[in-house]
Amino acid sequence: MMDIKRIISKIEKNYIKSNLKKGERIDGRGLWEYRDFKIESDIIASAEGSADVLLGDTRIITGLKYDVGTPFPDLPNEGVCTVMAELLPLASPLFERGPPDEQSIELARVVDRGIRHADCVQTKKLCIKEKEAVYILFVDMYVINHAGNLIDAGGVGALTTLISAHIPEGIIGENGLEWTGKYLTGETLVKELPLVTTYGKIDDIIFLDPNLPEELVSEGRISISTTESKITSIQKSGVATFSIEEIKMLCKDSMEKSKKLRKELNLLQYLNKTD
Amino acid sequence: MPLIIKDEYPEKLFRKDGKRLDGRERNELRPIKMEVGVIKNADGSAYLEWGNNKIYAAVYGPREVHPHHLAKPDRGILRVFYRMATYSVFDRKRPAPGRREKEISMIISDCIEPVLFLELYPGTSFEVFIEVMDADGGTRCASVTVAALALADAGIPMKSLVTAVAVGKIDKEIVVDLSGIEDKAGEADLPYAITWFNEEISLLQFDGDMDLDELNKFLDLAKNALTSIYQIQLETLKSKFLKLSEEPSIEKEEALIEGEK
Repeated sequence: MMDIKRIISKIEKNYIKSNLKKGERIDGRGLWEYRDFKIESDIIASAEGSADVLLGDTRIITGLKYDVGTPFPDLPNEGVCTVMAELLPLASPLFERGPPDEQSIELARVVDRGIRHADCVQTKKLCIKEKEAVYILFVDMYVINHAGNLIDAGGVGALTTLISAHIPEGIIGENGLEWTGKYLTGETLVKELPLVTTYGKIDDIIFLDPNLPEELVSEGRISISTTESKITSIQKSGVATFSIEEIKMLCKDSMEKSKKLRKELNLLQYLNKTD
Repeated sequence: MPLIIKDEYPEKLFRKDGKRLDGRERNELRPIKMEVGVIKNADGSAYLEWGNNKIYAAVYGPREVHPHHLAKPDRGILRVFYRMATYSVFDRKRPAPGRREKEISMIISDCIEPVLFLELYPGTSFEVFIEVMDADGGTRCASVTVAALALADAGIPMKSLVTAVAVGKIDKEIVVDLSGIEDKAGEADLPYAITWFNEEISLLQFDGDMDLDELNKFLDLAKNALTSIYQIQLETLKSKFLKLSEEPSIEKEEALIEGEK
Protein backbone atom coordinates (compact mmCIF):
# COMPACT_ATOMS: atom_id res chain seq x y z
CA MET A 1 0.00 0.00 0.00
CA MET A 2 1.04 3.54 -0.66
CA ASP A 3 2.64 5.31 2.28
CA ILE A 4 0.20 7.58 4.00
CA LYS A 5 1.42 11.13 4.03
CA ARG A 6 -0.43 14.39 4.12
CA ILE A 7 1.52 15.61 1.14
CA ILE A 8 1.71 13.39 -1.91
CA SER A 9 4.77 13.73 -4.12
CA LYS A 10 4.44 15.25 -7.60
CA ILE A 11 5.49 11.95 -9.15
CA GLU A 12 2.75 10.03 -7.38
CA LYS A 13 0.25 12.74 -8.17
CA ASN A 14 1.13 12.69 -11.86
CA TYR A 15 0.99 8.91 -11.88
CA ILE A 16 -2.51 8.89 -10.42
CA LYS A 17 -3.59 11.68 -12.79
CA SER A 18 -2.20 10.13 -15.95
CA ASN A 19 -3.83 6.83 -15.05
CA LEU A 20 -7.18 8.51 -14.48
CA LYS A 21 -6.88 10.24 -17.87
CA LYS A 22 -6.58 6.80 -19.44
CA GLY A 23 -9.67 5.77 -17.50
CA GLU A 24 -7.62 3.57 -15.17
CA ARG A 25 -7.21 3.68 -11.44
CA ILE A 26 -4.37 2.61 -9.19
CA ASP A 27 -6.52 -0.07 -7.58
CA GLY A 28 -7.65 -1.48 -10.94
CA ARG A 29 -11.20 -0.12 -10.89
CA GLY A 30 -12.99 1.70 -13.66
CA LEU A 31 -13.81 5.40 -13.15
CA TRP A 32 -17.44 4.69 -12.23
CA GLU A 33 -17.02 1.66 -10.04
CA TYR A 34 -17.40 1.25 -6.30
CA ARG A 35 -15.03 -0.78 -4.17
CA ASP A 36 -16.71 -3.77 -2.53
CA PHE A 37 -19.00 -3.19 0.43
CA LYS A 38 -19.00 -5.66 3.30
CA ILE A 39 -21.63 -5.21 5.97
CA GLU A 40 -22.27 -6.85 9.31
CA SER A 41 -25.10 -5.67 11.51
CA ASP A 42 -26.00 -5.80 15.19
CA ILE A 43 -22.46 -6.56 16.33
CA ILE A 44 -22.46 -4.41 19.49
CA ALA A 45 -24.40 -5.97 22.35
CA SER A 46 -24.57 -2.73 24.35
CA ALA A 47 -25.99 -0.70 21.47
CA GLU A 48 -29.63 -0.63 20.35
CA GLY A 49 -28.49 -1.19 16.77
CA SER A 50 -25.11 -1.29 15.06
CA ALA A 51 -23.23 -1.89 11.84
CA ASP A 52 -19.69 -2.67 10.77
CA VAL A 53 -19.20 -1.42 7.23
CA LEU A 54 -16.19 -2.00 5.02
CA LEU A 55 -15.82 -0.10 1.75
CA GLY A 56 -12.60 -1.51 0.36
CA ASP A 57 -10.23 -0.96 3.28
CA THR A 58 -12.25 1.91 4.75
CA ARG A 59 -13.98 0.69 7.85
CA ILE A 60 -16.57 2.39 10.04
CA ILE A 61 -18.34 0.93 13.06
CA THR A 62 -21.60 2.68 13.88
CA GLY A 63 -23.81 2.24 16.91
CA LEU A 64 -27.19 3.49 18.07
CA LYS A 65 -28.08 4.69 21.56
CA TYR A 66 -31.23 6.43 22.69
CA ASP A 67 -32.41 8.76 25.38
CA VAL A 68 -35.80 10.17 26.27
CA GLY A 69 -36.20 13.93 26.28
CA THR A 70 -38.72 16.71 25.69
CA PRO A 71 -39.53 17.52 22.06
CA PHE A 72 -38.75 20.81 20.34
CA PRO A 73 -41.69 23.23 20.90
CA ASP A 74 -42.32 23.59 17.15
CA LEU A 75 -42.36 19.79 16.62
CA PRO A 76 -44.23 18.57 19.73
CA ASN A 77 -44.90 15.06 18.44
CA GLU A 78 -41.61 14.25 16.75
CA GLY A 79 -38.50 12.57 18.06
CA VAL A 80 -34.96 13.54 17.14
CA CYS A 81 -32.20 11.66 15.36
CA THR A 82 -28.65 12.98 15.52
CA VAL A 83 -25.51 11.74 13.82
CA MET A 84 -22.00 12.05 15.21
CA ALA A 85 -18.70 10.96 13.68
CA GLU A 86 -15.30 10.49 15.18
CA LEU A 87 -12.12 10.12 13.14
CA LEU A 88 -10.15 8.00 15.56
CA PRO A 89 -6.39 8.53 15.61
CA LEU A 90 -6.26 4.74 15.58
CA ALA A 91 -7.61 4.74 12.02
CA SER A 92 -4.94 6.75 10.26
CA PRO A 93 -1.77 8.73 10.93
CA LEU A 94 -3.64 11.65 9.33
CA PHE A 95 -6.11 11.83 12.20
CA GLU A 96 -5.23 13.63 15.38
CA ARG A 97 -6.59 13.43 18.89
CA GLY A 98 -8.78 16.12 20.30
CA PRO A 99 -12.25 17.55 19.81
CA PRO A 100 -13.99 16.89 16.47
CA ASP A 101 -12.35 18.81 13.63
CA GLU A 102 -14.07 20.15 10.51
CA GLN A 103 -13.52 16.90 8.61
CA SER A 104 -15.37 14.77 11.17
CA ILE A 105 -18.11 17.37 11.53
CA GLU A 106 -18.58 17.45 7.77
CA LEU A 107 -18.79 13.64 7.66
CA ALA A 108 -21.43 13.60 10.37
CA ARG A 109 -23.42 16.44 8.86
CA VAL A 110 -23.44 15.17 5.29
CA VAL A 111 -24.59 11.73 6.46
CA ASP A 112 -27.13 13.36 8.79
CA ARG A 113 -28.58 15.59 6.07
CA GLY A 114 -28.86 12.69 3.66
CA ILE A 115 -31.00 10.87 6.20
CA ARG A 116 -32.89 13.85 7.60
CA HIS A 117 -34.30 15.15 4.33
CA ALA A 118 -35.23 11.77 2.91
CA ASP A 119 -38.26 10.76 4.98
CA CYS A 120 -36.04 7.97 6.28
CA VAL A 121 -36.43 8.07 10.07
CA GLN A 122 -40.11 8.24 11.00
CA THR A 123 -39.72 10.85 13.71
CA LYS A 124 -43.44 10.77 14.55
CA LYS A 125 -43.03 7.12 15.57
CA LEU A 126 -40.40 8.34 18.05
CA CYS A 127 -43.00 10.23 20.07
CA ILE A 128 -43.93 8.72 23.44
CA LYS A 129 -46.26 11.50 24.60
CA GLU A 130 -46.96 14.71 22.73
CA LYS A 131 -45.17 17.79 24.13
CA GLU A 132 -43.70 15.65 26.93
CA ALA A 133 -41.55 12.76 25.92
CA VAL A 134 -39.87 11.74 22.69
CA TYR A 135 -36.94 9.53 21.79
CA ILE A 136 -33.62 11.11 20.97
CA LEU A 137 -31.56 8.78 18.82
CA PHE A 138 -27.79 9.01 18.66
CA VAL A 139 -26.16 7.43 15.64
CA ASP A 140 -22.44 7.50 16.40
CA MET A 141 -19.87 6.58 13.76
CA TYR A 142 -16.32 5.57 14.60
CA VAL A 143 -13.78 5.34 11.79
CA ILE A 144 -11.59 2.27 12.38
CA ASN A 145 -9.53 2.42 9.18
CA HIS A 146 -9.35 5.34 6.74
CA ALA A 147 -8.78 4.40 3.12
CA GLY A 148 -10.81 7.15 1.48
CA ASN A 149 -14.47 8.06 0.96
CA LEU A 150 -15.65 8.00 4.55
CA ILE A 151 -18.93 9.66 3.57
CA ASP A 152 -20.35 6.81 1.48
CA ALA A 153 -19.23 4.19 4.00
CA GLY A 154 -20.70 6.30 6.82
CA GLY A 155 -23.99 6.71 4.95
CA VAL A 156 -24.39 2.96 4.58
CA GLY A 157 -23.26 2.46 8.19
CA ALA A 158 -25.75 4.93 9.63
CA LEU A 159 -28.62 3.56 7.56
CA THR A 160 -27.83 -0.07 8.41
CA THR A 161 -27.61 0.88 12.08
CA LEU A 162 -31.08 2.46 11.97
CA ILE A 163 -32.47 -0.55 10.10
CA SER A 164 -31.02 -2.92 12.71
CA ALA A 165 -32.52 -0.86 15.56
CA HIS A 166 -34.26 -2.48 18.53
CA ILE A 167 -35.30 0.27 20.91
CA PRO A 168 -37.41 -0.57 23.97
CA GLU A 169 -40.91 0.78 23.49
CA GLY A 170 -41.94 3.15 26.25
CA ILE A 171 -45.25 4.59 27.41
CA ILE A 172 -46.10 7.17 30.04
CA GLY A 173 -47.92 5.14 32.68
CA GLU A 174 -48.97 5.88 36.25
CA ASN A 175 -45.41 5.74 37.51
CA GLY A 176 -43.99 7.78 34.70
CA LEU A 177 -42.03 6.20 31.91
CA GLU A 178 -42.54 2.44 31.56
CA TRP A 179 -41.41 -0.27 29.20
CA THR A 180 -44.15 -2.11 27.32
CA GLY A 181 -41.92 -5.16 26.90
CA LYS A 182 -41.86 -4.62 23.14
CA TYR A 183 -39.28 -3.07 20.87
CA LEU A 184 -39.39 -0.47 18.12
CA THR A 185 -37.47 -1.90 15.19
CA GLY A 186 -36.24 -0.63 11.86
CA GLU A 187 -39.48 -1.86 10.37
CA THR A 188 -41.45 0.96 12.04
CA LEU A 189 -38.63 3.50 12.23
CA VAL A 190 -37.23 3.50 8.70
CA LYS A 191 -39.09 4.23 5.47
CA GLU A 192 -36.94 5.58 2.64
CA LEU A 193 -33.40 4.27 2.17
CA PRO A 194 -31.19 7.22 1.24
CA LEU A 195 -27.69 6.45 -0.02
CA VAL A 196 -24.91 8.90 -0.63
CA THR A 197 -22.54 8.65 -3.57
CA THR A 198 -19.31 10.64 -3.63
CA TYR A 199 -17.34 11.66 -6.70
CA GLY A 200 -13.80 13.04 -6.74
CA LYS A 201 -12.46 15.54 -9.23
CA ILE A 202 -8.93 16.09 -10.51
CA ASP A 203 -8.54 18.61 -13.34
CA ASP A 204 -11.55 17.76 -15.49
CA ILE A 205 -11.66 14.06 -14.60
CA ILE A 206 -14.47 12.88 -12.38
CA PHE A 207 -14.62 9.46 -10.75
CA LEU A 208 -16.74 7.58 -8.23
CA ASP A 209 -15.67 6.51 -4.74
CA PRO A 210 -12.20 8.07 -4.36
CA ASN A 211 -9.71 5.95 -2.44
CA LEU A 212 -7.25 7.62 -0.08
CA PRO A 213 -4.42 8.49 -2.51
CA GLU A 214 -7.00 9.79 -4.99
CA GLU A 215 -8.68 11.78 -2.24
CA LEU A 216 -5.36 13.32 -1.24
CA VAL A 217 -4.50 14.47 -4.78
CA SER A 218 -8.00 15.49 -5.85
CA GLU A 219 -9.04 19.12 -5.76
CA GLY A 220 -12.49 18.46 -4.48
CA ARG A 221 -15.45 16.18 -4.37
CA ILE A 222 -19.19 16.16 -4.47
CA SER A 223 -21.48 13.97 -2.40
CA ILE A 224 -25.04 13.43 -3.55
CA SER A 225 -27.67 11.72 -1.40
CA THR A 226 -30.59 10.17 -3.20
CA THR A 227 -33.60 8.04 -2.44
CA GLU A 228 -35.38 5.87 -4.98
CA SER A 229 -37.01 8.88 -6.65
CA LYS A 230 -35.48 12.07 -5.21
CA ILE A 231 -32.22 13.89 -4.63
CA THR A 232 -32.20 14.81 -0.96
CA SER A 233 -28.88 16.43 -0.24
CA ILE A 234 -25.76 17.64 -2.03
CA GLN A 235 -22.42 18.69 -0.64
CA LYS A 236 -19.62 20.06 -2.75
CA SER A 237 -16.37 20.35 -0.87
CA GLY A 238 -12.80 21.17 -1.71
CA VAL A 239 -11.60 23.83 -4.12
CA ALA A 240 -12.70 22.09 -7.33
CA THR A 241 -15.40 23.75 -9.40
CA PHE A 242 -18.05 21.89 -11.39
CA SER A 243 -19.85 22.95 -14.56
CA ILE A 244 -23.64 22.89 -14.72
CA GLU A 245 -23.46 19.98 -17.19
CA GLU A 246 -21.26 18.04 -14.81
CA ILE A 247 -23.67 18.56 -11.93
CA LYS A 248 -26.60 17.39 -14.03
CA MET A 249 -24.66 14.36 -15.20
CA LEU A 250 -23.54 13.49 -11.66
CA CYS A 251 -27.02 13.83 -10.20
CA LYS A 252 -28.33 11.46 -12.85
CA ASP A 253 -25.47 9.04 -12.28
CA SER A 254 -25.96 9.23 -8.52
CA MET A 255 -29.63 8.24 -8.86
CA GLU A 256 -28.65 5.26 -10.99
CA LYS A 257 -25.71 4.22 -8.83
CA SER A 258 -27.63 4.35 -5.58
CA LYS A 259 -30.59 2.52 -7.12
CA LYS A 260 -28.23 -0.27 -8.14
CA LEU A 261 -26.48 -0.21 -4.77
CA ARG A 262 -29.77 -0.37 -2.87
CA LYS A 263 -30.62 -3.51 -4.77
CA GLU A 264 -27.19 -5.09 -4.32
CA LEU A 265 -26.80 -4.31 -0.62
CA ASN A 266 -30.41 -5.24 0.20
CA LEU A 267 -30.13 -3.40 3.52
CA LEU A 268 -33.56 -4.50 4.71
CA GLN A 269 -32.09 -7.94 5.35
CA TYR A 270 -30.55 -6.38 8.48
CA LEU A 271 -33.94 -5.69 10.08
CA ASN A 272 -34.01 -6.87 13.66
CA LYS A 273 -36.67 -9.40 14.49
CA THR A 274 -36.73 -9.14 18.30
CA ASP A 275 -40.53 -9.18 18.52
CA MET B 1 -34.60 11.61 31.75
CA PRO B 2 -34.00 7.94 32.47
CA LEU B 3 -33.65 5.23 29.86
CA ILE B 4 -36.72 3.06 29.49
CA ILE B 5 -35.18 -0.20 30.69
CA LYS B 6 -33.51 0.34 34.06
CA ASP B 7 -29.96 -0.86 34.62
CA GLU B 8 -30.74 -3.12 37.58
CA TYR B 9 -28.57 -5.69 39.30
CA PRO B 10 -29.76 -9.17 40.23
CA GLU B 11 -29.88 -10.11 43.92
CA LYS B 12 -27.94 -13.33 43.51
CA LEU B 13 -24.90 -13.75 41.31
CA PHE B 14 -24.94 -17.56 41.36
CA ARG B 15 -27.54 -19.82 39.82
CA LYS B 16 -29.20 -22.68 41.69
CA ASP B 17 -26.79 -25.17 40.16
CA GLY B 18 -23.87 -23.28 41.70
CA LYS B 19 -22.67 -21.80 38.44
CA ARG B 20 -22.36 -18.11 37.71
CA LEU B 21 -25.13 -16.21 35.89
CA ASP B 22 -23.50 -16.74 32.50
CA GLY B 23 -23.00 -20.45 33.24
CA ARG B 24 -19.31 -20.30 34.15
CA GLU B 25 -17.47 -22.06 36.95
CA ARG B 26 -15.66 -19.92 39.53
CA ASN B 27 -12.27 -20.30 37.84
CA GLU B 28 -13.55 -20.21 34.27
CA LEU B 29 -12.75 -17.40 31.84
CA ARG B 30 -15.18 -16.02 29.30
CA PRO B 31 -14.51 -17.02 25.66
CA ILE B 32 -11.51 -15.10 24.30
CA LYS B 33 -10.73 -14.43 20.64
CA MET B 34 -7.71 -12.48 19.41
CA GLU B 35 -6.53 -11.29 16.03
CA VAL B 36 -3.57 -9.17 14.90
CA GLY B 37 -3.06 -6.88 11.91
CA VAL B 38 -6.71 -5.82 11.77
CA ILE B 39 -6.06 -2.12 11.04
CA LYS B 40 -4.09 -1.76 7.84
CA ASN B 41 -3.03 1.87 8.32
CA ALA B 42 -1.42 1.23 11.70
CA ASP B 43 2.14 0.04 12.29
CA GLY B 44 0.68 -2.69 14.45
CA SER B 45 -2.82 -3.57 15.55
CA ALA B 46 -4.88 -6.14 17.35
CA TYR B 47 -8.49 -7.00 18.05
CA LEU B 48 -9.80 -8.74 21.13
CA GLU B 49 -13.16 -10.24 21.88
CA TRP B 50 -13.38 -11.18 25.52
CA GLY B 51 -16.92 -12.23 26.39
CA ASN B 52 -18.95 -9.27 25.20
CA ASN B 53 -15.97 -6.92 25.25
CA LYS B 54 -14.86 -5.88 21.79
CA ILE B 55 -11.64 -3.89 21.73
CA TYR B 56 -9.34 -2.59 18.99
CA ALA B 57 -5.79 -1.44 19.58
CA ALA B 58 -3.47 0.29 17.12
CA VAL B 59 0.17 1.26 17.51
CA TYR B 60 1.90 4.10 15.69
CA GLY B 61 5.60 4.57 16.19
CA PRO B 62 8.36 5.20 16.64
CA ARG B 63 7.35 8.60 15.29
CA GLU B 64 7.88 12.29 15.88
CA VAL B 65 6.45 13.62 19.13
CA HIS B 66 3.54 16.05 19.02
CA PRO B 67 3.59 18.39 20.90
CA HIS B 68 7.33 18.60 20.56
CA HIS B 69 8.13 19.62 24.15
CA LEU B 70 7.07 16.17 25.38
CA ALA B 71 10.01 14.56 23.57
CA LYS B 72 12.86 13.28 25.74
CA PRO B 73 16.41 13.58 24.39
CA ASP B 74 17.62 10.33 25.93
CA ARG B 75 14.65 8.02 25.37
CA GLY B 76 11.38 7.45 23.57
CA ILE B 77 8.04 7.99 25.24
CA LEU B 78 5.00 5.73 25.37
CA ARG B 79 1.56 7.28 25.23
CA VAL B 80 -1.58 5.24 25.64
CA PHE B 81 -5.04 6.52 24.87
CA TYR B 82 -7.86 4.35 26.16
CA ARG B 83 -11.26 5.42 24.90
CA MET B 84 -14.76 4.00 24.96
CA ALA B 85 -17.29 4.35 22.18
CA THR B 86 -20.47 6.19 23.14
CA TYR B 87 -22.52 3.07 22.44
CA SER B 88 -20.25 0.62 24.27
CA VAL B 89 -22.11 1.00 27.56
CA PHE B 90 -25.68 0.89 28.87
CA ASP B 91 -26.16 4.66 29.20
CA ARG B 92 -24.71 6.53 26.24
CA LYS B 93 -21.27 7.76 27.21
CA ARG B 94 -20.42 11.36 26.46
CA PRO B 95 -18.16 11.55 23.41
CA ALA B 96 -15.35 13.54 25.07
CA PRO B 97 -12.83 11.53 27.14
CA GLY B 98 -13.69 11.55 30.82
CA ARG B 99 -11.63 11.31 34.00
CA ARG B 100 -12.01 7.53 34.11
CA GLU B 101 -10.62 7.11 30.59
CA LYS B 102 -7.66 9.37 31.34
CA GLU B 103 -6.78 7.49 34.50
CA ILE B 104 -7.05 4.10 32.83
CA SER B 105 -4.89 5.33 29.93
CA MET B 106 -2.18 6.23 32.41
CA ILE B 107 -2.50 2.94 34.30
CA ILE B 108 -2.19 0.95 31.07
CA SER B 109 0.77 3.02 29.90
CA ASP B 110 2.60 2.45 33.19
CA CYS B 111 1.75 -1.23 32.99
CA ILE B 112 3.20 -1.77 29.51
CA GLU B 113 6.24 0.50 29.60
CA PRO B 114 8.47 -1.92 31.59
CA VAL B 115 8.56 -4.37 28.67
CA LEU B 116 9.71 -1.82 26.08
CA PHE B 117 13.26 -0.68 25.30
CA LEU B 118 12.36 3.00 25.13
CA GLU B 119 15.99 4.05 25.71
CA LEU B 120 16.72 2.79 22.18
CA TYR B 121 14.42 5.38 20.61
CA PRO B 122 15.47 8.85 21.85
CA GLY B 123 13.28 11.75 20.83
CA THR B 124 10.41 9.63 19.51
CA SER B 125 7.03 8.47 20.69
CA PHE B 126 5.04 5.27 20.54
CA GLU B 127 1.35 5.85 20.58
CA VAL B 128 -1.12 3.13 21.46
CA PHE B 129 -4.76 3.85 20.73
CA ILE B 130 -7.27 1.57 22.41
CA GLU B 131 -10.90 1.78 21.40
CA VAL B 132 -13.50 -0.11 23.38
CA MET B 133 -16.36 -0.72 20.96
CA ASP B 134 -18.42 -2.88 23.32
CA ALA B 135 -17.88 -3.12 27.07
CA ASP B 136 -18.92 -5.79 29.55
CA GLY B 137 -16.60 -5.63 32.56
CA GLY B 138 -12.84 -5.99 32.66
CA THR B 139 -12.05 -3.60 29.82
CA ARG B 140 -8.84 -2.30 31.38
CA CYS B 141 -7.41 -5.82 31.67
CA ALA B 142 -8.56 -6.68 28.18
CA SER B 143 -7.00 -3.42 26.94
CA VAL B 144 -3.60 -4.24 28.45
CA THR B 145 -3.73 -7.68 26.83
CA VAL B 146 -4.69 -6.36 23.40
CA ALA B 147 -2.26 -3.42 23.54
CA ALA B 148 0.66 -5.78 24.21
CA LEU B 149 -0.41 -7.82 21.22
CA ALA B 150 -0.58 -4.73 18.98
CA LEU B 151 2.92 -3.66 20.06
CA ALA B 152 4.25 -7.11 19.22
CA ASP B 153 2.43 -6.97 15.87
CA ALA B 154 4.17 -3.66 15.15
CA GLY B 155 7.50 -5.46 15.49
CA ILE B 156 8.62 -3.27 18.38
CA PRO B 157 11.31 -4.96 20.49
CA MET B 158 9.81 -6.14 23.76
CA LYS B 159 11.19 -8.00 26.76
CA SER B 160 8.00 -10.04 26.84
CA LEU B 161 4.27 -9.75 26.47
CA VAL B 162 2.01 -8.40 29.20
CA THR B 163 -1.22 -10.11 30.21
CA ALA B 164 -3.96 -8.93 32.52
CA VAL B 165 -7.06 -10.35 34.15
CA ALA B 166 -9.38 -9.32 36.95
CA VAL B 167 -10.27 -11.48 39.92
CA GLY B 168 -12.93 -10.58 42.41
CA LYS B 169 -15.44 -11.55 44.99
CA ILE B 170 -19.15 -12.03 44.29
CA ASP B 171 -21.64 -13.26 46.88
CA LYS B 172 -18.61 -13.92 49.15
CA GLU B 173 -17.07 -16.33 46.63
CA ILE B 174 -13.79 -15.72 44.87
CA VAL B 175 -14.08 -15.81 41.08
CA VAL B 176 -11.96 -14.97 38.05
CA ASP B 177 -12.75 -12.60 35.15
CA LEU B 178 -15.73 -10.59 36.39
CA SER B 179 -18.43 -9.82 33.85
CA GLY B 180 -20.12 -6.41 33.77
CA ILE B 181 -22.92 -7.41 36.14
CA GLU B 182 -20.54 -9.20 38.52
CA ASP B 183 -18.29 -6.16 38.56
CA LYS B 184 -21.12 -3.79 39.46
CA ALA B 185 -22.97 -6.03 41.91
CA GLY B 186 -19.97 -7.87 43.39
CA GLU B 187 -18.02 -7.05 46.52
CA ALA B 188 -14.45 -6.84 45.30
CA ASP B 189 -12.53 -6.39 42.09
CA LEU B 190 -8.79 -6.78 41.58
CA PRO B 191 -7.36 -6.07 38.12
CA TYR B 192 -3.94 -7.63 37.83
CA ALA B 193 -1.29 -7.69 35.09
CA ILE B 194 1.96 -9.55 34.78
CA THR B 195 5.09 -8.83 32.73
CA TRP B 196 6.29 -12.26 31.71
CA PHE B 197 10.03 -11.50 31.41
CA ASN B 198 10.31 -11.16 35.19
CA GLU B 199 6.91 -12.58 36.15
CA GLU B 200 6.21 -9.51 38.25
CA ILE B 201 3.07 -7.53 38.81
CA SER B 202 2.81 -4.51 36.54
CA LEU B 203 -0.76 -3.42 37.12
CA LEU B 204 -2.60 -3.76 40.38
CA GLN B 205 -5.71 -2.06 41.59
CA PHE B 206 -8.21 -3.12 44.16
CA ASP B 207 -11.64 -2.00 45.21
CA GLY B 208 -13.78 -3.72 47.80
CA ASP B 209 -12.81 -5.64 50.90
CA MET B 210 -10.65 -8.69 51.53
CA ASP B 211 -8.53 -10.25 54.25
CA LEU B 212 -4.96 -11.48 53.89
CA ASP B 213 -6.07 -15.05 53.28
CA GLU B 214 -8.29 -13.91 50.45
CA LEU B 215 -5.44 -11.92 48.93
CA ASN B 216 -3.44 -15.14 48.58
CA LYS B 217 -6.38 -16.84 46.91
CA PHE B 218 -6.90 -13.91 44.57
CA LEU B 219 -3.29 -13.96 43.43
CA ASP B 220 -3.23 -17.74 42.91
CA LEU B 221 -6.42 -17.71 40.91
CA ALA B 222 -5.20 -14.81 38.76
CA LYS B 223 -1.89 -16.50 38.01
CA ASN B 224 -3.60 -19.58 36.58
CA ALA B 225 -5.95 -17.51 34.43
CA LEU B 226 -3.10 -15.32 33.18
CA THR B 227 -1.15 -18.35 31.99
CA SER B 228 -4.00 -19.52 29.80
CA ILE B 229 -4.61 -16.03 28.36
CA TYR B 230 -0.88 -15.71 27.67
CA GLN B 231 -1.05 -18.92 25.63
CA ILE B 232 -3.79 -17.43 23.44
CA GLN B 233 -1.67 -14.30 22.92
CA LEU B 234 1.31 -16.42 21.87
CA GLU B 235 -0.78 -18.61 19.58
CA THR B 236 -2.25 -15.52 17.89
CA LEU B 237 1.20 -14.11 17.16
CA LYS B 238 2.55 -17.48 16.06
CA SER B 239 -0.31 -18.02 13.63
CA LYS B 240 0.41 -14.62 12.08
CA PHE B 241 4.01 -15.58 11.36
CA LEU B 242 3.03 -19.06 10.21
CA LYS B 243 0.70 -17.46 7.70
CA LEU B 244 3.51 -15.17 6.53
CA SER B 245 5.88 -18.11 6.10
CA GLU B 246 3.28 -20.02 4.08
CA GLU B 247 2.91 -17.18 1.61
CA PRO B 248 5.10 -17.80 -1.44
CA SER B 249 8.14 -15.53 -1.18
CA ILE B 250 10.46 -14.59 -4.02
CA GLU B 251 13.34 -16.59 -2.56
CA LYS B 252 11.19 -19.68 -2.27
CA GLU B 253 9.96 -19.38 -5.83
CA GLU B 254 13.49 -18.89 -7.05
CA ALA B 255 14.56 -21.95 -5.11
CA LEU B 256 11.76 -23.91 -6.75
CA ILE B 257 12.79 -22.78 -10.22
CA GLU B 258 16.40 -23.72 -9.43
CA GLY B 259 15.17 -27.12 -8.30
CA GLU B 260 13.25 -27.69 -11.52
CA LYS B 261 16.33 -26.98 -13.56
